[in-house]
Amino acid sequence: MSKNITVYTTNACAYCMMVKKYLDSKGQSYNVINLDEQPDQREKVEAISGVKSVPVTVIETENAEPSVTVGWNPNKLSAALAA
Amino acid sequence: MSDINPLVIVGAGPSALAAAVYTCREDIDTTLYEKGVIGGLAAITDQVDNYPGFAEGIEGLKLAEQLQAQAERFGAKIEFGDVQSITDAGDHKILKIDGNDVLAKVVLIATGSDYKKIGVPGEAEYFGRGVHYCATCDGPFYRDKKLVVVGGGNSAIQEALYLTRFTSHIDLLVRSTIKASEVLQHDLDKAVSDGKITVHLNTTTDEIVATDNVVNKVLATKDGEKTEIETDGVFVFVGLLPNTQFLADSKIELDEQGFIKTDGKLQTTMPGVFASGDVRSGATMQIASAVGEGATAALNIREYLEK
Repeated sequence: MSKNITVYTTNACAYCMMVKKYLDSKGQSYNVINLDEQPDQREKVEAISGVKSVPVTVIETENAEPSVTVGWNPNKLSAALAA
Repeated sequence: MSDINPLVIVGAGPSALAAAVYTCREDIDTTLYEKGVIGGLAAITDQVDNYPGFAEGIEGLKLAEQLQAQAERFGAKIEFGDVQSITDAGDHKILKIDGNDVLAKVVLIATGSDYKKIGVPGEAEYFGRGVHYCATCDGPFYRDKKLVVVGGGNSAIQEALYLTRFTSHIDLLVRSTIKASEVLQHDLDKAVSDGKITVHLNTTTDEIVATDNVVNKVLATKDGEKTEIETDGVFVFVGLLPNTQFLADSKIELDEQGFIKTDGKLQTTMPGVFASGDVRSGATMQIASAVGEGATAALNIREYLEK
């Protein structure tokens, strides 16, 4: 099933890099929203995740609630991709 | 039975990647397992100014990427994986990784360390929502806000200086005195004279307080007197904790602080298992030292495998 994936990042965030590498290794395409370049998105990601922190990965699947993963958590990302 | 890997390295920080460069160049098949960030704490450090060879310094993340690329150029394989235990099976070791057994003739533990928690009320409760341990990740959420930074060592000063690019003001809470390099202390003095940072020496952090789930102050004790500091968030850098929890039930001996004891060859008390970098008892917690220890461990591992 097709998934729409968005990764919220900052310029120097190593955990964000790990998320992107992980998604690359799984052949997943994704959108990146860099909060250093788009600071107006900070409130949005905070509302989505409940935290002032990146990375935040939002995986949207048709007919399902979006999965929100805070931080570098390959187990949760793997489960969200498999859902 | 699974094949026995010549060498498994636990971790993929600077020490692990340096070791991998050496072992791969010796044609020792090398696989690294990392559960956190490739590059370790170095990767989440804004700027590394004391690693030789970079006259203008280098961003931590870029240094980590270069170390990774160099190791991979010689054939190092880096896998995502959480090593849960290491047991001695005589001529090889058994690593439990994400529930699966991986066998290795030799193991190098280079898992580094993570920032300690201060263990005060509010710290765990507001983690990620006002309490943070990664300035490069979470600093941009505090543009034009007031912050408290806890700690007085190199990391605390460096990260506080990094955070000044976002914040309106930082209160630096230091339990005793500043214990940072002269260069960082000089930069700190400048930030203080510019009004960007206020240093509170002899100040313990007692509690992180929120109203309506929003962190808004820190309760502290300064020179024995209770005090309150208004803030929008707290960043904590109060020392390092070795990543050795997975060795708790192993035959690998740790020191009182949980760092791995090694001999002159960087071998642990389990023959065939070596340790290098920040996780090793006696380590100096410097990237340059960790890289040097990784190279030393690699050469000792080659010697061990040739026996």
